Amino acid sequence: MAYQKRPASSYQPCDTFFVESYDDFPAPRMEPKEHARLIARERQYAIADELSKITSEEFRDDILAHMLDMDTATLPDVESIDIQTEIQWFMRPYLLDFLIEAHTAFQLLPSTLFLTINLLDRYCSKRVVYKRHYQLVGCAALLIAAKYGDKKDRVPTIKELKSMCCSLYDDDMFIQMEWHVLQTLGWTIGHPTVDNFLQMAVMDCPYDAEVEHLSLYIAEISLFHREFVSKPSSDLARASLALARCILNRTQPRHTEWASQYDSMTLVGLSQQLHQPSQVLSRKYSSAHYSRVSKILEQFLARQASVASYTPPSPPSDVVPAESKPYEGEIGLATPQKAPQSSTMAHGYITPPITPENEVFANGGNPTFAKGVAGTSACSPSPTPSPSVPYTGAPSYAQEATYQQQYLQPQMSFSTGY
Amino acid sequence: MDKQQPSSFQQLEKLGEGTYATVFKGRNRQTGELVALKEIHLDSEEGTPSTAIREISLMKELKHESIVSLYDVIHTENKLMLVFEYMDKDLKKYMDTRGDRGQLDQATIKSFMHQLLKGIAFCHENRVLHRDLKPQNLLINKKGQLKLGDFGLARAFGIPVNTFSNEVVTLWYRAPDVLLGSRTYNTSIDIWSAGCIMAELYTGRPLFPGTTNEDQLQKIFRLMGTPSERSWPGISQLPEYKSNFHVYATQDLGLILPQIDPLGLDLLNRMLQLRPEMRISAHDALQHPWFHDLPQLQAQLQQQQQQQQQQMSGAYGGMVPPQQAY
Repeated sequence: MAYQKRPASSYQPCDTFFVESYDDFPAPRMEPKEHARLIARERQYAIADELSKITSEEFRDDILAHMLDMDTATLPDVESIDIQTEIQWFMRPYLLDFLIEAHTAFQLLPSTLFLTINLLDRYCSKRVVYKRHYQLVGCAALLIAAKYGDKKDRVPTIKELKSMCCSLYDDDMFIQMEWHVLQTLGWTIGHPTVDNFLQMAVMDCPYDAEVEHLSLYIAEISLFHREFVSKPSSDLARASLALARCILNRTQPRHTEWASQYDSMTLVGLSQQLHQPSQVLSRKYSSAHYSRVSKILEQFLARQASVASYTPPSPPSDVVPAESKPYEGEIGLATPQKAPQSSTMAHGYITPPITPENEVFANGGNPTFAKGVAGTSACSPSPTPSPSVPYTGAPSYAQEATYQQQYLQPQMSFSTGY
Repeated sequence: MDKQQPSSFQQLEKLGEGTYATVFKGRNRQTGELVALKEIHLDSEEGTPSTAIREISLMKELKHESIVSLYDVIHTENKLMLVFEYMDKDLKKYMDTRGDRGQLDQATIKSFMHQLLKGIAFCHENRVLHRDLKPQNLLINKKGQLKLGDFGLARAFGIPVNTFSNEVVTLWYRAPDVLLGSRTYNTSIDIWSAGCIMAELYTGRPLFPGTTNEDQLQKIFRLMGTPSERSWPGISQLPEYKSNFHVYATQDLGLILPQIDPLGLDLLNRMLQLRPEMRISAHDALQHPWFHDLPQLQAQLQQQQQQQQQQMSGAYGGMVPPQQAY
């Protein structure tokens, strides 16, 4: 599964994603003209942002109301999926991994992934799906989602999809399944995705790449869990955002009423699913493009675990990553996020992500820290059996490897057939 | 959705042909109701075209009196058939057959503009950009109703507004910011098109009938004045901006539209602002004082229409149906 083992260049649409640099294709030195063009483009983006703000302010309330309507109108029904006879929940993560890899390979927009999974789950809420067709439904959903919202030249061709599935299905089957999905969903495709809501929630705040990427990562982790399948995207977006801010030790700004409201139970639920994310997902989010948020999250969880199993003489300073900013500026002990956090998470599921480094802490005997320890041990942070084990790289879904071998083998073979 | 069969409709004459679809007049065999049947040929290679997926799913969300209704979607072996409410003509044909050399009377213009802006406002409130407004895509029925049709280029936009392709809107109705290469246009592009259409309703001729991208920009600048960094901060950053654009002074639109009243001219100027952020929104345009006397005018119009309806139904059998865009 490791990408490094594969010659990245043999798979055309994705070769820029997986390699950090081209050895055989050195980037030419930037011409002054090129430089000016880049600056011009940046300025243009700034102008566009301004323009977008004007439109946004004018239409925000109407659009939000419409999005919320569409959100509830396009929810999958988790209980109907439960009664599927052939496909089982344990199979879903394999399919999702496959779809995430395909989505990444085709360089599609974030919302296309969320829309794909929404279409997949809605179809599975309405039709009995054979095990052997599950991947086909996933591909059809990806195709429809890309056609609906993505850039025209990025939409996968059926030939590409077929090759990704190792020719398990004929061209005709993709076309028929695409049609069947459209028909089953009554052509209602416009599901407002988590990332649509996320963009809306952060639009009044200064851009913070880490927060946005971590929110997106958490939201994508939630795709893997049954308990969130029937949750409205607007709830998931706001809870992911709040949790990301919490983990990154950012304040929870109070901007618009809608954006700052979130359901604390959803947030707690999300916080319990962070420990063993899909490897495909954590790898995707370990790239610089996504601010390496999967690493940040891992470090945060490791810190938490070490706080939970705290023994006095081992200050876990070595776990503290360079990226983390436990105390920003001169605020000192007064962690800015403390107040909102303690109010929303009275049960202490997530302890403040603070590994004390200050002299104050080093000198020992400080009550704040002790309280934090008590909080965690009183209430286990997650259902994971051994939270102290960091990310091991072992397959996350150990149960039924046979399913993968039998039905989703094709995902191993991205590079073939081109 | 799949209850109806293609055989439920009697296919009548062809109404028009588009790039990816053919439109026929049809009759519901059970109810006798007239419909428009848009046939989309399915590409055997790539399945359902993205235009069809967008058009159908967006039109299902947009139920409004100023937007053509989609009744049904029927699938046959190699065709997709969209069943729309029947409209008599498109605006282009309407102007050609009805007006005095294409020019329409004040009351009709005001009524059409009001309905057009209502349709646009509804789209925008539901986060949809039409992106292809032009007389051929506006449909008129015998009741004098105007409705937006052909959502083949439409798409949903997010907040904040994301980047799009700039290959949208028929050249003559394309906004200057899009012509200058901006990809982050938003709702204001539909307003520019509406402004061009309003002027055309008065003159019967397209306002800016350009032949190429450059020619189109030149025709716009010749009338609206060449923008500069001073009148439009940031313009020089747009990809297609040239520092050697011929400099024109702003002309008075009233000179080429002698029939227009001062209030109408004011509204038109607000819609035809070069800078997208200065363009009036559909919602605000509907509140413009120009529309204040619409109720009285509409009463007059109704009388006229009743007369015309009688005439039209008399001449109906022999009339060649116009090209239509659904």
